[in-house]
Amino acid sequence: MIEFKNLSLVYPNGNEGLKNINIKINEGEFVVIVGLSGAGKSTFIRSVNRLVTPTDGELIVDGEDILTHNGKSLRELRKKVGMIFQSYNLVKRSTVLKNVIAGRLGYTGTFRSIFNMYPKEDMELAYENLKRVNIENKLYSRADELSGGQQQRVSIARVLTQKPKVILADEPVASLDPPTSHQVMKYLKQINQEDNITTIVNLHFIDMAMEYADRIIGMRAGEVVYDGPASEVTEKTFEEIYGRTIREDDIRGGEVNE
Amino acid sequence: MSNQLPPKPRTPAKVVKRVIILLAVVALYVWTFSSVNINWERVFSERTLENINRIIPQFFDPAWAETGTILVKMVETIFIAYTGSLAAAVLAIPLAFLCASNMVKNKFLNTIGMWILGAVRAFPEIILAIIFVAAVGPNPFAGVLAIAIGSTGMLGKLYSEVIESIDMNIIEALEASGANKMQILFYGIMPQVLPEFLSYAIYRFEIDVRASSVLGIVGAGGIGTLITFAYLNRNWDEVGMILLVIIIAVTIIDQISGFIRRRLV
Amino acid sequence: MNKTDEFIPTSLYPAKTKRTISIAFIVVIGFYLVSSITTESFIINFFLKLGNITDLVGRFFPPDWGYVNNVWPKLFETIHMAIIATTIAVIISVPFCLLAAHNITTNKWLYNSMRMILNIIRTIPDIILAVVFVGLFGIGVFSGIIALIIFAVGILVKLMSEIIEAIDMHPSEAIRASGGNTIQTIWYAVVPQILPQFISFSLYVFEINIRASVVLGLVGAGGVGQLINKEINFLNYPAVSTIVLIIFAVVVVIDWISGKLREGLV
Ligand SMILES: Nc1ncnc2c1ncn2[C@@H]1O[C@H](COP(=O)(O)OP(=O)(O)OP(=O)(O)O)[C@@H](O)[C@H]1O
Ligand SMILES: [Mg+2]
Repeated sequence: MIEFKNLSLVYPNGNEGLKNINIKINEGEFVVIVGLSGAGKSTFIRSVNRLVTPTDGELIVDGEDILTHNGKSLRELRKKVGMIFQSYNLVKRSTVLKNVIAGRLGYTGTFRSIFNMYPKEDMELAYENLKRVNIENKLYSRADELSGGQQQRVSIARVLTQKPKVILADEPVASLDPPTSHQVMKYLKQINQEDNITTIVNLHFIDMAMEYADRIIGMRAGEVVYDGPASEVTEKTFEEIYGRTIREDDIRGGEVNE
Repeated sequence: MSNQLPPKPRTPAKVVKRVIILLAVVALYVWTFSSVNINWERVFSERTLENINRIIPQFFDPAWAETGTILVKMVETIFIAYTGSLAAAVLAIPLAFLCASNMVKNKFLNTIGMWILGAVRAFPEIILAIIFVAAVGPNPFAGVLAIAIGSTGMLGKLYSEVIESIDMNIIEALEASGANKMQILFYGIMPQVLPEFLSYAIYRFEIDVRASSVLGIVGAGGIGTLITFAYLNRNWDEVGMILLVIIIAVTIIDQISGFIRRRLV
Repeated sequence: MNKTDEFIPTSLYPAKTKRTISIAFIVVIGFYLVSSITTESFIINFFLKLGNITDLVGRFFPPDWGYVNNVWPKLFETIHMAIIATTIAVIISVPFCLLAAHNITTNKWLYNSMRMILNIIRTIPDIILAVVFVGLFGIGVFSGIIALIIFAVGILVKLMSEIIEAIDMHPSEAIRASGGNTIQTIWYAVVPQILPQFISFSLYVFEINIRASVVLGLVGAGGVGQLINKEINFLNYPAVSTIVLIIFAVVVVIDWISGKLREGLV
């Protein structure tokens, strides 16, 4: 369970990223955060694994206030909270397997990780996760030989390998074409359901948000302006969140029917 | 469904190549460490300790009294570098055109040009200086010649790369409008290459100031002459002062030339 | 008064550009004259006295081929010095490259002082380093190696820190986000991105070190330069040209090998 209590974040240059957020996210929920560019979606998500540090309030993850974490306890938090990025953030010159096994770094001593001395179970876990996203045949390929969708699947496998309780995804499909976007979202949804991993995804496509989310949180100018089940959301709701009419580029489209 | 990892795909050729490189490297190191002749007893001797106690304090207490003489020689050093660089900046141009395959469409001449430049680059300036000191006597002119020849090697190569990367369409257009070879050179080619030529020449001048500050060690003029004297007379405070002057002068020149080069491109 | 309507350009360039260029030109030529006169070096002399010079250079020829066998031991010493110095310099430079890259070392104070030390080191000519170390540790290979190490670290750290500053920081964000510590982040996200260049630059520095270690012998810091110094003092010019030609051949061969290796890397 994740709880934001009166949480605010002001960047060093004075930009207000978050303004007094109060939100409770339950275990196993699939939450999609929507909002215009600059609304504070990334700031919201990055607070949960402390890639940014809120300046006021409390943020409870798994029963602990994470704002005081540093050093070792911060790394412990990050082991529990996995993250997927818009630009995949793979090490391009390294193999797929090496990228995926990097998910175990938090569990592995520095010395062992430098000399690639991973327990057999870790290697098997990495391989199993590659199978889950159907990319196990690219095991020894270099990451830069893969397409964007394949790279994002590898990054999902990396996150799974770290056995997280929470997965954060910051615009995971923004760099992908429509069919690939749906494929990646389906993997995320499937993992959320099968493993009961709380998942928070930033999206700015309203059709995808409605299709995959259990719950939608709308943000504008650092504030939460909407919070409700996806089933109750209509285009009208989005117009309220965005503060303008819906345009063509707010919709991803291209849904592939199975 | 087993979770056994499939084996890593390895091509035998790759493995063989790696093993060969590994063996070569190991052999190189074994050869080096088994035959290198370091006189450890001398290195860790009483003398070293004495030297450290004597030299280091002197070294960090530079001979301010010598500032005048040293500055004069530093200026001479800069002049040597400047004269040599400028000569090289001009000499390198014809050679660069000779080497550029889009200008001289003759593979043989290109290769000859490359060989000349390559040969010149293989000699450290100070070796050239030794030769020129023998030829023209121990004076700054020997230094200038060493710098000029040494820099021509590098500038010629850099220039020819610049020439090879120019936009040939413009030249075609000029040709089509009836321009002759000289006109093409001055209207089509020079404007494209000149800023980069200048930038490289200035960069080379930075290197040449460093180089010419040591040429005096073999008698080719400049501040290096003082180094030899100070060192032979064990005047470490003078060595310290000379070094200080070199560091400051080189830093200032680097800053100025960096400023000019940024404004050029 | 419609001046603009009657305006006819008289020059291809604006007056200001013309002025700047003219001034620059005068300064360059003026400074050249001053330099030439004070150093009494007129490049034209080179061509005027070409006959003289070739005569004198002629003293270096023909090379004394009988001398060849005296060259090998010292030549190998030069190569050994370069190998040892490059190896140690590469190892030493690793932490310093990281400290001199602003995307890794976020502490401004530490970063700036690293940069400053680095810039100072790079202004010191290698041969002066050698002079000082020969003074401290006596004539021989050891002094040369130490001088080469410092010289090489200066170059390598400069080149590598620039590469590190240009890397993609996204992967390291991902590694940190999955709980990796600083060392793990560097090893998994930074090292793979820079390793090929690091090896390539190390080979390049080795090439430079070979040339430099030839020179260091002139002040007694070991290697083939010592031999040159000796024969020059004996005015034994044919032997000098033998040495120089052999050095030339070795430098060319080593550059070629190292160039081939570097091509295979990136
Ligand atoms: N590192 C930073 N320093 C200063 N201000 C920042 C920083 N990062 C974000 N901001 C500001 O905080 C606000 C929220 O930014 P955030 O990146 O969270 O928005 P977002 O909703 O993710 O937008 P996008 O859809 O463009 O990714 C913006 O006004 C932004 O300018
Ligand atoms: Mg964002």
